[in-house]
Amino acid sequence: MAKKNNGFIERTAISAVSLLRETVSTDAIASRDGFLQRCDPRFKFAGIALLLACALLTKSTAELAVLYLASVTLAVFSSISPFFFFKRTLIFIPLFSLFIAIPALFNVVTPGKPIFAFKVFTLDLSVTRQGVDSALIFCMRVLSSVSLTILAVLTTRHHVLLKALRVFRVPRLFVMVLGMCYRYICLLLDIIKDTFTAIKSRVGFVTSPKTGRRLVAANMAGMWLRSYRLHTQVYDAMVSRGYTGEPIVLNEFRARRGDYGFLIVSLFMLIGTLWLNRFFH
Amino acid sequence: MHIPDGYLGPATCAAGFAVMAPLWAFASRKVKKTLRAKQVPLLAIAAAFAFVIMLFNVPIPGGTTGHAVGGVLAAILLGPWAACIAVSVALVIQALLFGDGGITAVGANCFNMAFVLPFVGYGVYRLISGSSPVTSVRRVVAAGIAGYIGLVVASLCAGIEFGLQPIFHHTASGQALYCPYGLKIAISAMVGEHLLVFGWVELIATALVIKFLQKQEPALLQPETEVRI
Repeated sequence: MAKKNNGFIERTAISAVSLLRETVSTDAIASRDGFLQRCDPRFKFAGIALLLACALLTKSTAELAVLYLASVTLAVFSSISPFFFFKRTLIFIPLFSLFIAIPALFNVVTPGKPIFAFKVFTLDLSVTRQGVDSALIFCMRVLSSVSLTILAVLTTRHHVLLKALRVFRVPRLFVMVLGMCYRYICLLLDIIKDTFTAIKSRVGFVTSPKTGRRLVAANMAGMWLRSYRLHTQVYDAMVSRGYTGEPIVLNEFRARRGDYGFLIVSLFMLIGTLWLNRFFH
Repeated sequence: MHIPDGYLGPATCAAGFAVMAPLWAFASRKVKKTLRAKQVPLLAIAAAFAFVIMLFNVPIPGGTTGHAVGGVLAAILLGPWAACIAVSVALVIQALLFGDGGITAVGANCFNMAFVLPFVGYGVYRLISGSSPVTSVRRVVAAGIAGYIGLVVASLCAGIEFGLQPIFHHTASGQALYCPYGLKIAISAMVGEHLLVFGWVELIATALVIKFLQKQEPALLQPETEVRI
């Protein structure tokens, strides 16, 4: 019971630690020498966006499988171990989607040609061909999309990825706020981790749900107060570094021949997807 | 509530961006006009706050925990337009850097959580709190109800988005190409769980944070506070 009541303390601390750990491990992978790590972030992001468009637009399960294989291949050429990549791409969202897709297999959700029929009490149930196809394409689409996103996330330093958004004409104010926000997320995560570890060590096992709710609310409010006070100090620090009110985003990207190649291949895949879609009705 | 890639078809994804683009433009124009240079870091810090608030596990009756979205709280503290930008930034970072919520679904996610949630919640908060004093119990109740209603309405929007997929995108044989559930199932599932569980988490978190701020820093809840946009 005590453990149950105190679960929220541990869970909050664990969430903060795992996000911090993810940030550090992503930066370590992004620093390796690999194909995607060497890519200009603007071209990499644009190329992966085109591949994501393929995953979004295709009507073929086979093409989605090809996209997933392509993302695994890209991961291998980018010094990411296949086991690590499978672990990152198959667990959580695709697995969750698989559970969500299960009811869609049956005639009560997706009517169609039955391939396997059975009875539960008085209810006639059957797995339908259309249901299987719907669930399969849904899961494959989620899997290939998640894989492509994770590939971009793993092979690019976070602050660089945010800067690359300028290529999509995202306003400077947004890019600057995104960059600053990312840094503060790391800072706030560190504060949450420390605070909840301290609560765990001081409070021990005696928190009732009511006290727990008050504790969490006090921490949320405290976090806001701390954040609010922090912004004036940050502004002073920015002014001392030459900030005049106009956001400036440094652009040190340089494209190579291989970057154009990646973008062109992705573009051809998108054109191929649109062409193939004509054969699916 | 974070819709991943692959759940929504191209038409809904495009509609999400098409609706959000003018809203983002208007919000940034409004924020730029009202926000002084000094407050730009506040926007970034508020976005970081909107991001980390989802990490706090709130104990709920029954022995389990859930996390709040914090969109209504951000709207009460910052004003709805600034909250729209702050929550959008948090959602973009979640999608781009942590793979939480799809990149193609950013528009739809922002519509649900950065527009519908703060605006509906803020409207309900203003409606119930009226001109009551900043430190009144009515404000706490208003914040809780606003959080609950805001989240349920946002989940209704997500349910409608899911439910439209089999209508918009299917093959001639009836095979769904994206989320396979129709409006009836999708809306019942999304709204049901938010009415019964997550809405209460939002209610508790929003009300208790406002109550805490009433005691510690009531000035931040004043309608004329310089940060509110």
